[in-house]
Amino acid sequence: MDFLNQISLLLGKDLLLELRRRESLLMMFFFGTLLLFVFHFSFDLAPERVAEMAPGLLWLAFLFTGTLGLAQLFEGERGNHCLDALLLSPMDRGALFLAKTGFNFILMVLVEIVVIPLFWILFNLRSWDVVPYLFVITLLGTVGFCVLGTLLSAVTLKARARELLLPLVLFPLMIPVILATIRCMEAILRAGELGDAVPWLRLLVGFDVIFLTVGVLIFDWVIEV
Amino acid sequence: MAEISNRRNQRKGYLGAAALITVLVGLYWGLLHAPPDAYQGEVQRIMYLHIPSILTAYLSFFLVFVGSCLYLWKKEKRDDILAYSAAEIGVLFTALTIAEGSIWGRPTWGVWWTWDARLTLTAILLLIFAGYLMLRSLTEEENRAASSAAVLGIIGFLDIPLIHMSVYWWRTLHQPPSILRPDKAPWENVHPAMLTALAINFVGFVLLYFYLLSLRFRLGEMREEIKARWLNRGN
Amino acid sequence: MGAWRFVFLAYGIVWCAILIYWITLKRRLRRAETELAQLRAFEESQSNAQT
Repeated sequence: MDFLNQISLLLGKDLLLELRRRESLLMMFFFGTLLLFVFHFSFDLAPERVAEMAPGLLWLAFLFTGTLGLAQLFEGERGNHCLDALLLSPMDRGALFLAKTGFNFILMVLVEIVVIPLFWILFNLRSWDVVPYLFVITLLGTVGFCVLGTLLSAVTLKARARELLLPLVLFPLMIPVILATIRCMEAILRAGELGDAVPWLRLLVGFDVIFLTVGVLIFDWVIEV
Repeated sequence: MAEISNRRNQRKGYLGAAALITVLVGLYWGLLHAPPDAYQGEVQRIMYLHIPSILTAYLSFFLVFVGSCLYLWKKEKRDDILAYSAAEIGVLFTALTIAEGSIWGRPTWGVWWTWDARLTLTAILLLIFAGYLMLRSLTEEENRAASSAAVLGIIGFLDIPLIHMSVYWWRTLHQPPSILRPDKAPWENVHPAMLTALAINFVGFVLLYFYLLSLRFRLGEMREEIKARWLNRGN
Repeated sequence: MGAWRFVFLAYGIVWCAILIYWITLKRRLRRAETELAQLRAFEESQSNAQT
């Protein structure tokens, strides 16, 4: 399908650039780890309490790290009128949206693969067996973050004080994702399974589906020459 | 040209007068005529402000949504003006709703702030409105600002039901509902004068809202015309 | 009674705020009207000068 080809082309281009220069990824790794250290100094993370606070702290770390990645999302296209060239080409704007979302998603997942086990190690958590389930929930939350984040990153592209404005408009809209992922993760950490938290999972998946669809449809108006 | 604007100003004047009268009647009904609540006493009278305020705040956001959709579709300037005018007045009414809710909470719960669903949701709404207005004013080029804000308006509006659900679930699954919740409308055993007071105040607020909106819209139109004439002058 | 304090506080804040907003709106409208009138007058004098 031509649409899928476009997505893979654009995504491949971004990944290749990132592989060569590794700016965003390294910065995000470093920042995510740094935040874990800051948490240690900021909160009283005694072993009994750290398990309760883990979902919230992890999500704080991912939110801020992800925002860093988002700010860099369209950097590659800024110089040399690359963005104009992309828009003038017969590429479907929806494909551009999915490619950018996918790129940010991959970066964040790579960071999460490192940060979650690191959290478990640094704070001496024992519950290693639930980490895979936590990871799945984190993936779903990351989708929501990347979808809204890409949309808003593009929307704020031409604004002054963009680095401040982007989190300001993004975070309130992220509240359903934040609440849903943290509730799910809490349930898993407490009981090893979702149980009561299933409605939250449905909300999370619903959020992802809705805004993926809205994003693909609306991206035509988001980025204009 | 002059007759049209005179007729419009006249209609605005009628709307303003109607709003004022309804509001005054509502004030009398709410503060004097309706009886005090059996549990909460006089403090419950804040409800005649609070419920109309929150409803007009949501009406505002709906108008932002409508303006945003129309603007993206037809690119007509007045839809953009509608959207950001509704946003500006929406910020006012949302902020007032929060203040009223907080003041109502103090004698009822003993605290100026609580993270209950209603107050939290109103605060989030304020943040979204504020983000919209900031994006609108910080974006460089005018048309870009209008379409960027329109996209944010649409996304925000679509997100609000999800935010509602998540905040309500969060608060109700983890806290037992308290008896004296000011946001609960006790429809049974309610004195009819209270319902009338609420209705009158609600109508008054809506009329007032549309009156202010028409003024703000007019201001937006005039500014557009001023801009256009300055541009012509440069040629 | 103590309760009326809060009622007056709430009503006071709300109606003062709305009044102030209305006044600022009126003022901004008046300023825009004068500027618009100036621009229109200037354009008229321009077109009169040309004819």
